[in-house]
Amino acid sequence: MKKYTLKKADLQKEDDVSARQTRFTIDYRNQLNPAQYEAVTAVQGPSLIVAGAGTGKTRTITFRVAYLVELGVKPESILLLTFTRRAAQEMLRRASILLDSRCEKVAGGTFHSFANMVLRQYAPLIRFESTFTILDQGDAEDVVNLLRTRMKFDTRERRFPRKQTLFEIFSKSVNTHQTVKHVLKEEFPHYEDFLEEVLALHKAYTAYKAGHNLMDYDDLLLHCRTLLRDHDQVRNTLSERYKYIMVDEYQDTNRIQAEIVQLLAARHRNIMVVGDDSQSIYSFRGATIRNILDFPETFPGCGIITLEENYRSTQPILNLTNEILRRARD
Amino acid sequence: MTRHKFAKVLFTRKTGGELPSIVVAANENLQSRFIVQKVLELREQGVPLNDIAILFRSAYLSFDLEIELNKANIPFVKFGGFKFIETAHIKDLVAYLRVIENPRDAVAWNRILLLLDGIGPRTAEKVIDEIMARPSALGGTASAVPVRLTEAASYPRRVHELLEALRAVAPDGLSPADKVQQLLLYYEPIFTKRYDDYNKRRKDLEMFQQITERYRTVTALLADLALEPATESVSDITAPGPDDEKLVLSTIHSAKGLEWNSVFVLYALDGRFPTYRAAASEDAMEEERRLMYVACTRAKENLYITYPINIYDRESGLVLTKPSRFIEGVSENLLDTWVIDEE
Repeated sequence: MKKYTLKKADLQKEDDVSARQTRFTIDYRNQLNPAQYEAVTAVQGPSLIVAGAGTGKTRTITFRVAYLVELGVKPESILLLTFTRRAAQEMLRRASILLDSRCEKVAGGTFHSFANMVLRQYAPLIRFESTFTILDQGDAEDVVNLLRTRMKFDTRERRFPRKQTLFEIFSKSVNTHQTVKHVLKEEFPHYEDFLEEVLALHKAYTAYKAGHNLMDYDDLLLHCRTLLRDHDQVRNTLSERYKYIMVDEYQDTNRIQAEIVQLLAARHRNIMVVGDDSQSIYSFRGATIRNILDFPETFPGCGIITLEENYRSTQPILNLTNEILRRARD
Repeated sequence: MTRHKFAKVLFTRKTGGELPSIVVAANENLQSRFIVQKVLELREQGVPLNDIAILFRSAYLSFDLEIELNKANIPFVKFGGFKFIETAHIKDLVAYLRVIENPRDAVAWNRILLLLDGIGPRTAEKVIDEIMARPSALGGTASAVPVRLTEAASYPRRVHELLEALRAVAPDGLSPADKVQQLLLYYEPIFTKRYDDYNKRRKDLEMFQQITERYRTVTALLADLALEPATESVSDITAPGPDDEKLVLSTIHSAKGLEWNSVFVLYALDGRFPTYRAAASEDAMEEERRLMYVACTRAKENLYITYPINIYDRESGLVLTKPSRFIEGVSENLLDTWVIDEE
């Protein structure tokens, strides 16, 4: 009798991929334009999808999720990071309609929700309890205010920075990888005389959060990054769990988010980022356009696919918007 | 060499379409009245109000227009404003849950103590210090809410009632929905006393309770509330109905990812958009340009860029008269120029 053994399919091997493609339920080639098709089928290694406005970015990501699942990738090992949870849910919902309910098992969410999930599991490694609670911006400002009063910095004759300003300085320092001193000097030079107090306050704020098992939004990303960076076991476990990573709106990520992506993908390099550098408008929140612009250098060998066919506007409107872009710095 | 952009030239297979327009107004109010008139015309042509958006660089730039829209009885929504989770009464409820979850959360303790009549910041701090100092209060388990405070006698009765209420809902066996239901009973007199418009706000509490039904643990509930403050407060928006056809006013930042049949970009005036402040840095100026790009790429059929002239800028001491530099000098083949003629 003939003996059959099961061999694990290798997605790196073209034969295996094309063998699977013949059984696909979705006709990817006909449902997508050529650039979208290229993006959807770029599976192994790093790739950057530069998706112009209105070029069917959501459709492309949705089809790519379905494609990966049809290829035999376990849905649980796909991680889709988006800017809002609604975006992730919507894409996975559409993928489920497109293919089947396997797509619902894909891990999707925001950077913050991903970080939260990681931290709930590993908080003790960075001396937090898993029951830490999260401070929103208002709460965080209140803590800063409380400490400012406690440290008697607000009784000076000269005007000490307001709690909102102080928190903005702290937050910006985290998000832009600058020292508090640098941010103060650059953005609030008129408060430079208070450098010592601001630094003391920053230290007190950090200690307060650690002492009360609290994290603000920035901490979620920061601590997650630290966990991934300093704990090989955590990084390896997560890289093993998420073998295919996709990030949407990459032009709006900040430095720490980019580091998280790099750490997660360092091992397998199966990373696809999608975004439009021309729509990067959140630098005031710490986003840096450099993440997307430098992505090909960060991940050498990265494929770049540009989506240019627009499904939204008339050609006269596109002619004008193309012109606005053409005049941008080269 | 440092890369500054990925070149891209967008195209469509759709045919036809009007040239976008740039419209100069002699002053701000004329700009507003022009937009009002044009919006009514579009509506007349069958474009629903909610398929028309007015976009601007900064929220304050639409104030004059808002007045004109009100005068013309054109309903509109403006994107921005309070989110559900940021409203005071929801924050109160969340604070109760937070101290059950993490008894070291002094921020939440402070909030719920200050809600009590006769408790000021000093008493609150004393109570919090005592809670923090007791190892039994730590550890993050449900039983961690302190049974008794040592200086019990010196604290107002209300502090004890609060601790009593928290202890009652602390057990792990209770679902988040059960906990919230019980907490709402405790919170009721505080709520009605504290907020004059409690009738309006009550809908939010109901909605909150409804949300908690979906959760198995308080941990998950709290994390989601903190991370996904998506729902808007009932008292801020009216429930959408079939007649809910409203013009959209939005900052460009809030308009990202959206699209409308017709888009107006107002105040495309150099010094306002780009803002005068961006002139100091090339990076900032490039980001302003991208903002203009994002604004204009929201339009499907009609795009009107408007700007008023003779606007005095207090910060710079200049009178602003030129169109946005991102538009100025664009070929006539790409953009129709119009001047408003008042009849």
